[in-house]
Amino acid sequence: MAPLAKSGHLMHIRPRVSPVLADLLFGATALVYFAACCLFVAFLLGRISGVTWAARLVAIGVPLHAAQIVVSSLLLHVCPVQGIHFALSVASLLAAAVYVGVRTRYRIDVVGAFVAPLALTFLLASRLVVVTAQEVPRLRSVVLPFHVAANLLGVALFTLAFAAAVAYLVQERRLKQKRIEGMMQRLPPLDALDRAEHRFLVAGFPMLTIGIITGSLWAHEVEAGGAAEIARAAFSYVSWALFGLVLLLRAAVGWRGRRAAYGTIAGFGFAVLVLLLYLVRSVPAASVALGGGP
Amino acid sequence: MTILLVGLSHKSAPVEVRERLSAGAEALPVVLSHLAAREELQEVMFLSTCNRVEVVALPRSRLDDAALRAIREELARHGGLERDADLAPYLYEKRGDEAVAHTFRVAASLDSMVLGEPQILGQVKTAYDAAVAAGALKGMLGRCISRAFAVAKRVRTETAIAAGTVSIASVAVDLARHIFGDLDHHAVLLLGAGEMAEAAAKSLSKGARAVRICNRSFERAAALAATMHASATPWDQLEQEMLQADVVVASTASRVPVVTQDVVRRVMKARKGRTLFFVDIAVPRNIEPAVHKLDNVFVYNVDDLEQEVARGLKARHGELAAAEAIVAEEVAQFLSWTRGLQVQPTVVALRTRAHAVLFGELERSLGGRLKHLPEGDRAALAQMLESSIGKLLHAPTTRLKARASDGEGDAGELASALRYLFDLAEIAPEPHDRAEPKGEDRGDGGESLPH
Repeated sequence: MAPLAKSGHLMHIRPRVSPVLADLLFGATALVYFAACCLFVAFLLGRISGVTWAARLVAIGVPLHAAQIVVSSLLLHVCPVQGIHFALSVASLLAAAVYVGVRTRYRIDVVGAFVAPLALTFLLASRLVVVTAQEVPRLRSVVLPFHVAANLLGVALFTLAFAAAVAYLVQERRLKQKRIEGMMQRLPPLDALDRAEHRFLVAGFPMLTIGIITGSLWAHEVEAGGAAEIARAAFSYVSWALFGLVLLLRAAVGWRGRRAAYGTIAGFGFAVLVLLLYLVRSVPAASVALGGGP
Repeated sequence: MTILLVGLSHKSAPVEVRERLSAGAEALPVVLSHLAAREELQEVMFLSTCNRVEVVALPRSRLDDAALRAIREELARHGGLERDADLAPYLYEKRGDEAVAHTFRVAASLDSMVLGEPQILGQVKTAYDAAVAAGALKGMLGRCISRAFAVAKRVRTETAIAAGTVSIASVAVDLARHIFGDLDHHAVLLLGAGEMAEAAAKSLSKGARAVRICNRSFERAAALAATMHASATPWDQLEQEMLQADVVVASTASRVPVVTQDVVRRVMKARKGRTLFFVDIAVPRNIEPAVHKLDNVFVYNVDDLEQEVARGLKARHGELAAAEAIVAEEVAQFLSWTRGLQVQPTVVALRTRAHAVLFGELERSLGGRLKHLPEGDRAALAQMLESSIGKLLHAPTTRLKARASDGEGDAGELASALRYLFDLAEIAPEPHDRAEPKGEDRGDGGESLPH
């Protein structure tokens, strides 16, 4: 089991959950996600005609994934988000859960082709990547739970918006090039992708805003000011500004479709940069924070 | 006597070329009259649709090459081209059985962009009516086209080629679904109120939230709208209507684009970038091609639908084979009939000769030695001679026709021998110059054609 950030005061308590259960849940989740990925790939290659089963497998994977996170947390006596890799696993779980919840209504089944590999990757990373983390007492704060929760949900929603934007660009390009056959038949309608992308942005933007505000407060509290923190904060603000601009221009002057998709992808790119800074930093993570937290 | 066909279609020429040669209701009689006036052509029909422009003709005796040249010249003239060579890369030429088979396939919608679509038969009938009205179809070619209608009917009733057929309109609906999903919440605007608009409106009115019909003649738009769940709108409201519409299907007969890039740019600004999908099924095109370059605007013309149609074609491959078999059978029967037609003048001349000789002798006898015979006996003698001629000539004429129908090479020699032996040259000219069957009934193929 991957060592994760451990709370010192819990170190002496013996695990009450069987490691075998955690292993079983991990294996089952990975297997289900992997099967879903295979079906999505087969669908994109035109080998199978529908993604219903692939989407169903993701739906099966979500509760397994959630159970795996809970059991692993209990086993290790850590908060699931107290380490960037574990936190990303939670974010990917949230993305998969939102996908399962809205895929039929938004007609974005194919977005699962991005969500399923993402969830599988972060599930594996949460277990296989070794991060020796220790809690840094000075980072404790009352705003931390809000900061982390908002950012995780924000990341999940922006991930879905990003996937919808990429699918939109592929579909739009095919329609412009008048290549009716093949991939175009397998992607959702153009307007459905544009609408879904917009809705994910609308839902994710408040989360990111909360993340920014709480992150700034937190940074102020703990007096963080290193170069990495400043860069992370800057990227977070740029990401926030880009998403905000996409939403504003869409409402004001009808920026939709391709331009909105490019804006969304750019905003997501900066969000990923923030996450990468967390991943590569030498100081162990205490949380995942897009909003400028240390 | 060889039927000739010269033309171009969606398979041989892009829409840019086809729209130059297409002829609307006004231009069709003009082109036809030019063709009919050509000395090289004995019979001619001019067919012009969105997807093809074809001339099918019967040349005068032994003038096949000259006739083909004449057709090419007339097509180039109609297209405003200085040299008919400019058209050469796009034109196909067919002779004899190939021309007949092509005509049958076109009428049966086997050569259509949308396999099995029903509009083509109506368009061939329009071309046929125009040619008949112009006096340009009066013999074998007329019978060939009539037969094409019968073949089309057979194909439709004996195969499932048209079952579940995607019309151009339904392909447009399918494309619209790739963009908008369900059309329930989207409005459709039809530009034009012709036959194509009608077909599109019928497909679209089933799924769309609203269907508006905009036509230069408001009365015509209103008349079409009244037949379905649609409403008409004046032509000068076109730009306003495009603000509301999501799918615009254009099928007017205009020779110049009715929707330009500048107009659509204005419209898109007012729409705040909401996606707009144009389906341009008109030839010449109604929507300026540059419109497709604008953001969130998609323009598909008839050529763009080809891939979609090709996929439908695969799905109905089995039906296509059955339909092609019907066409092949009908072509064989028609050719057999036309070959029989080649010896028909000889048969008629032989009977005329026999009549002339025997009744001449009877006439002379009745004026001399048999002058005393009463009217009843004279009539009996005439009846006896008539019957004798029939019996005597039955075997040679039926065998000659059978040889010709079978396509045996010696039918011509036998006919020549008869003409020589019985000195028939004075009675009937060479077979190439005659061969005019009776009747031009449409659809049933005539009494002498087998079914």
